This record gives sequence, structure tokens and C-alpha cells, in this order.
Amino acid sequence: MHQATLVGQCAADDVACSRRHPQAPIAIGTRFHPDVSTELAGNTTPNLILDSAVPEVIAVEDGALVARKPGTSAILISTDDGSVVDFVHVWVAPVTKITLARRDGDRVASAIALAVGEDVTLAPALWNGAQRLSGDGDVQWTASAPAPIAILRDGSADRRRLRARTPGKTTISVALGDVATAVDVEVVP
Amino acid sequence: MTRPVATLRTTTTASIAAMIAASIIALGAGAGCLPTLAAQSAAPPGRAARLDEDVTFWGTKRYRLELSQGVALAISCHDGGPCEKLVATSDNPAIAEVRAASLTALQPAGYHGNQQSASAVVVVGKAPGTTTIHLRSKTGGRDVPVAVVAPPIATTTTAAAR
Repeated sequence: MHQATLVGQCAADDVACSRRHPQAPIAIGTRFHPDVSTELAGNTTPNLILDSAVPEVIAVEDGALVARKPGTSAILISTDDGSVVDFVHVWVAPVTKITLARRDGDRVASAIALAVGEDVTLAPALWNGAQRLSGDGDVQWTASAPAPIAILRDGSADRRRLRARTPGKTTISVALGDVATAVDVEVVP
Repeated sequence: MTRPVATLRTTTTASIAAMIAASIIALGAGAGCLPTLAAQSAAPPGRAARLDEDVTFWGTKRYRLELSQGVALAISCHDGGPCEKLVATSDNPAIAEVRAASLTALQPAGYHGNQQSASAVVVVGKAPGTTTIHLRSKTGGRDVPVAVVAPPIATTTTAAAR
């Protein structure tokens, strides 16, 4: 009805996050944290409530959209009294591929070399074929050899900062459910 | 021989005039009492969200609504302007839920330049099946049969089944 917008909660300068807009399907097993606003002439945004038409496809939990199974569901944006201000049809798709990108959005296509003391922040991107997916998932980060690299959380659900500790080689694996990717990291003195 | 023909012509002309008058009265009465509906949103790709009308010589006889499961459709109501005191109910909210919508767009109301906020509802396809939604306004109402259809099978599944 062109009265409300629903976008991801992202920092303005976070390129990787800003891509998680609702035009992309949400990956199964992830959560999408929406930022809802309205454009109602003469009004600020009222207190709004989100409802899902089919909670089996997308559930609304504590203000977040939780993708459960493939399909589409209308997300109704309503006022406190249940009057619908707008709605958005949101799609859910399974993850078939994970890629890694630097924080500036640059895709990681080969091994990473770091000097001791350096760090790099990597963010996973979820895909269904050629379609990028949105959503924050419980992505698992593991290192084949833990000594050269420290995998640090930076407050994001899925993003990690890799800090080079000692010279050596390791492989960082990133997995969401059964889908995984890996990148080789070499730390030099 | 000419006189009976003249009588017949007079009788025929009077009958036609009476029929036209009755038609106009009936058309006017029908059009005046029953609100008209219009879809205000589009269906998502590959899904159904269509409001069809069965039109007769007398005007719109009834509306039919087809929705895919999980799809919502906004419908506005008019009866010479945005419907007044619009109330919408569903016989089976588990199949098709109907909720009031807040549209801030102003629409012409009456013939003297007044405007009112659009009067609308949102119908949501919850589960496959059929039911009826009832729209009642100050000047009349519409009963709209709703068919909620299951979403299509995913392409990969369809391809695998071939």
C-alpha cells in the first residue's frame, strides 16, 4: 500500500549488512531484524506490530522475522488496534552456498595472508543459487589449527574478526547447518 | 388494416418505455445500495491475489476473490465515496482473515468537492480452502466468496517429479 518500509537494522557504513534488505529472501534458519517506518502524511510513525500470515513459513519472534521453511508469507504491519497500515510479502529460501566477504563488501576469493598482529574482519554471505539471501544465522566458525589465528566476535551474530597471532597456516571453516565454506589463512612474521 | 397496426405500435412503444424506466429504476437502486470494491495491491510473483467481478447488464452482481496461502490483498470499498462505517468479517478466519486497513490517501466523496480517507480492508490467505467474507457499510454490503489456494510446488521439486 506504499505507506511503510521494512529494512534491515544496519549501520549506515556497513556495506555487508546494508545488503540484507527485505528484497532478498530470508535464509532458512536465520533471523531478520527489521527496521519499520511509515510515510503517513502528517504523522510520525505510530507504534507498529508485525504479524505473519503463515507463521510456519516466517514466524515473528520478539520483533524479528524467523525463517522456518521455503515459501512466502505476508508480513502485516499494524497499529496497536490491529488496523493494517501496510504489508510486505517476504520470501524464504534454503541456503545452498556460503561465501565470505570483507567488511567493505569485497568478496574473498582466495587465501588470506596476514602478518602477526594484523587482523581482518570477515562476514559470511548466504546464497540460494545466484540469489543472495538475508538474515542473521547461527554461523559456526572453526579453525583447523587454532594457534595462528584467533577468531574474535565483534558483536555481530555472524561476522568475525580474525587476528593473526603466530606464524603458521590454518583453514577457517564457516558453516550454517549442512552448508559450509572454507578459506586458507597464512600468518607470516 | 392500418388502425390495428397503429394500435400495436403504440402498445409496443409503451411497453418498451416501461421496461426502460423499470430498468433504470432497478439499476439505480442496485447501484445505489451496493458498494463497489477495488483491489489496491498486487500479487507477489507466482502467487494469486485477484478480485474478480461478475458483471451483468444491471451492474456488478458479485465479487470473487482468489488468494494464495500466505498472500495478502488490500481491497478498497466505495459507495459514492469511501464506504462509511465499513465492517468486515470472515466466516472462517483460519482460511481467510480480514482486517481493517488504514489508508491515509484521500479520495473524492460526494459531488461537492469533499474528500475522505480511503476505506479499505486487507484479506489474508491463511490456509487452503474456501470461505466467505462479509463487507458491510452504511449503505449496503457485499458477500465475497474467497478461495485460498496452496502455493505452487517449488521448481526443483517439479523438475524432479518429471
